[in-house]
Amino acid sequence: MATNKLQVAIYWGAACGGCDVAVLDTNEFILDLAAAADIRFWPIAVDGKYSDVEAMADGELDLALFNGAVRNSENEHVAKLLRKKSKVLVALGSCAHMGGIPGLANLATKEEILLTAYLANPSVEPGNQTIPQARTAIDGMTLEIPYFFKRVFRLADVVDVDYFLPGCPPAPVQIRNVLLAVVKGELPPRGSVVGASDRALCDDCPRTKSEKKLKAFHRPYEIVQDPTRCLLEQGILCMGPATRSGCGVRCPNSNQGCRGCYGPLPGVTDQGAKFLSALASIIDSKDPKEIDEILAGLPDFIGLAYRFGLPASTLQRSYR
Amino acid sequence: MEKPRIGVFVCNCGTNISHIVDTEAVRAHAQAQPDVVVATSYRYMCSTPGQETIVKAIQEHQLNRVVVAACSPRMHEKTFRGACRHGGINPFLFEMANIREQCSWVHQDRLAATEKAKSLTTAAIHRVRHHRPLNSLSAEMCPTTLVLGGGIAGLTAALELADSSNDVVLVERTDALGGNLARVDLTAPHLDSARDLLTEKLTRIASNPRVTVLLRSELVALSGFVGNFTATIRGPGGNGAGPERQVRVGNVVVATGYQEFDAGRITHYGHGKLPNVVTSFEFEQMLRAGRIETRDGRLPQYAAIIHCVGSRNREFHPYCSRVCCMTALKYAHELKSANPACYVSDIYIDMHAFGKGCEEFYKATSEVKTLFLMFEKNEHPVIRRAGPGEDCDMLIEVNERLSGERIEIPADLVILMVGVEARSDAAEVARLVNISQDREGWFMESHPKLDPVATTTDGIYIAGTCAAPKDIPDSVAQARAAAARILARISKGRIEIDGVFAEVDEDRCSGCRICNELCPYSAIEFDEGKRRSHVIPAACKACGACVAACPSGAITGHHFTAEQIHAQIDGVLA
Repeated sequence: MATNKLQVAIYWGAACGGCDVAVLDTNEFILDLAAAADIRFWPIAVDGKYSDVEAMADGELDLALFNGAVRNSENEHVAKLLRKKSKVLVALGSCAHMGGIPGLANLATKEEILLTAYLANPSVEPGNQTIPQARTAIDGMTLEIPYFFKRVFRLADVVDVDYFLPGCPPAPVQIRNVLLAVVKGELPPRGSVVGASDRALCDDCPRTKSEKKLKAFHRPYEIVQDPTRCLLEQGILCMGPATRSGCGVRCPNSNQGCRGCYGPLPGVTDQGAKFLSALASIIDSKDPKEIDEILAGLPDFIGLAYRFGLPASTLQRSYR
Repeated sequence: MEKPRIGVFVCNCGTNISHIVDTEAVRAHAQAQPDVVVATSYRYMCSTPGQETIVKAIQEHQLNRVVVAACSPRMHEKTFRGACRHGGINPFLFEMANIREQCSWVHQDRLAATEKAKSLTTAAIHRVRHHRPLNSLSAEMCPTTLVLGGGIAGLTAALELADSSNDVVLVERTDALGGNLARVDLTAPHLDSARDLLTEKLTRIASNPRVTVLLRSELVALSGFVGNFTATIRGPGGNGAGPERQVRVGNVVVATGYQEFDAGRITHYGHGKLPNVVTSFEFEQMLRAGRIETRDGRLPQYAAIIHCVGSRNREFHPYCSRVCCMTALKYAHELKSANPACYVSDIYIDMHAFGKGCEEFYKATSEVKTLFLMFEKNEHPVIRRAGPGEDCDMLIEVNERLSGERIEIPADLVILMVGVEARSDAAEVARLVNISQDREGWFMESHPKLDPVATTTDGIYIAGTCAAPKDIPDSVAQARAAAARILARISKGRIEIDGVFAEVDEDRCSGCRICNELCPYSAIEFDEGKRRSHVIPAACKACGACVAACPSGAITGHHFTAEQIHAQIDGVLA
């Protein structure tokens, strides 16, 4: 296909659709994109088949944005396909970057997940005994559907990724900036995180910070917040110190602690462990009993500290 | 980075290592690792010929990395760093594998111990590839010293420093110098006058222009680091809000002393209720006034001294207060010399007479007809008022250990030998100067045997009874030791700062301030203007607390980088 237009594909793996919406949330810019680019493949917005992509020459696409984690064989297949067909592959959003919310499923086994979803869930029709199988024989024919992996992977676990654009979802302005950089050919070295700061959220957070000592953790509704003071100092869990900035301080500016979706700082491999280490360091007690009481205020630490990054962490998944 | 050329040196430590670990197998294993140019084993790597082997190998094989598999780095890391320096490479391009304490000394299975030694050596080889040359820094040393406390320890340290032509700021909370010693009459065992001991010091202090004495003053803040502290001292007036002054000092001697145990806490001795039960310090007052008498002005016919009041007792203080036994003997002497007809009973648990001249003093006291009665630890004599028919004021019942009998002793005057304890404000002082306290509240030494006057904070020294109960000679010796340590540092003019410290990458610091309160050495400062934290290299002890806590990974512990530690782990697992 001879054209000067940028050849683009956008795809979702194990995702909620929020990243696709974030692309659309670039507002009028999306029209400029449509004018400057041929959107060759985008299941949520453009009609197309996998076979259309398979028919492309290797490297025919200039850019593929892959959002979502890799949960099943279909996600993996398309990831590999897009890798082959694209000059630049970007992991868009927390799921592609680090496993994201779907990655929390790594705390359960495949069997437990299927049991809950198809047999034990209260919303399942009583008596149902059907669990989807990768192959099913019907009327002398075999039906195949994608199979469910044992665990969730991030995109970089299955293919080489050129750039990581973090966020759940990425801030539209950052998506726009990265797309402009691709158009202008102003991309940093391959393997970089783009559309985010190299400093923690606190750098951009307008709240005042002082020395930190914690005697208790609170959920936001439990206390009357001081809107000008660091949330963590008020006992509200905020992942800001362990998280890249770039989102525009969306959560703390809405009086919620940072959830950590922009992932760890450069050089840090395990965001949750880093946050744990920091939090343990500022708990203000030397009395084991009191420490236990303070820690009781953290009912689901892994769900907090690894909310977006479990598959990318040292833990990766629970082994049972 | 230049290609690593690693030399590995395996020590037999005589037979300390080689009797369990097959050092030749470790050597051969090391030799087979990538980048290892030479691998040697030797009887004693730390000996002069052993170190020369390293120096020669560095030069012969153009080594740029050295691994020694031997004992603990606490033992010989410095030795081998020195050998590296002599060989012409930066001493930090060196790593030790501990195959003695961690292998031969703790294992009996030769094969397993050898495999572990190979793993640890491989880990060191992996790690040393990532080592970077580090250089020590230096900073100015302010020659002025701050001395906290005007007791015998503080006075001695101040004079020692001032006599060597250095400025001293001596801060004392009360309105007079002299401390607890000023409350004492004679001193055991030589019966010298405490007043004489003090007067000499006080005269010299008063006439020495190098010493600035600040009475009714206290330290309220100390910032900075060794050689470069700024002390904020609050003067008298304004109900605890007197004028503050700031002084630049290089070192601090903490000589804040002790407080006496409150005898009223032991209710069964009746102190405060029975008029003629007095504490040792109240008795000292009588001695200093020159009149030993009961509350109603009579000469006591019977006097009893009870030891270990608050000391050596599971309910109060488990430790021995060290000075009371000899002071009790001194009282027996003084009672007898004031009134040779006085019956003196000395009721004790054990007689601790370990100091120079003390055992002799004990013997001499028993010869002046003092009745010694021994009681059981964690038991106590019982004091009650005597009946109207008795010729004494009180009766003391003791389960006497040596005779095994319950003995009743008459007494007109009972002297309670109150123990010494950490001052109630010791925690506040510890916080101000950033030193630690033990469970009894005493200030902790850097090392209880080998470094008894230094603390874990560089530039802060402790002397006298703020560190533990001790007598005058020991307090004076400590004060002079602290002064000598400080003089040695002042004479160098500058202080050398180890190349291993934590460093904040300001381009990555977000100013979240999680690290700020963590540093046990107060080495982290927050720049309000830049909104970045910063580690003062001179104050940093490279403990790594901030490195681990920094959620942004913005703090690097030099020589303990994530890269180096990961490489070491990979090496163990390789």
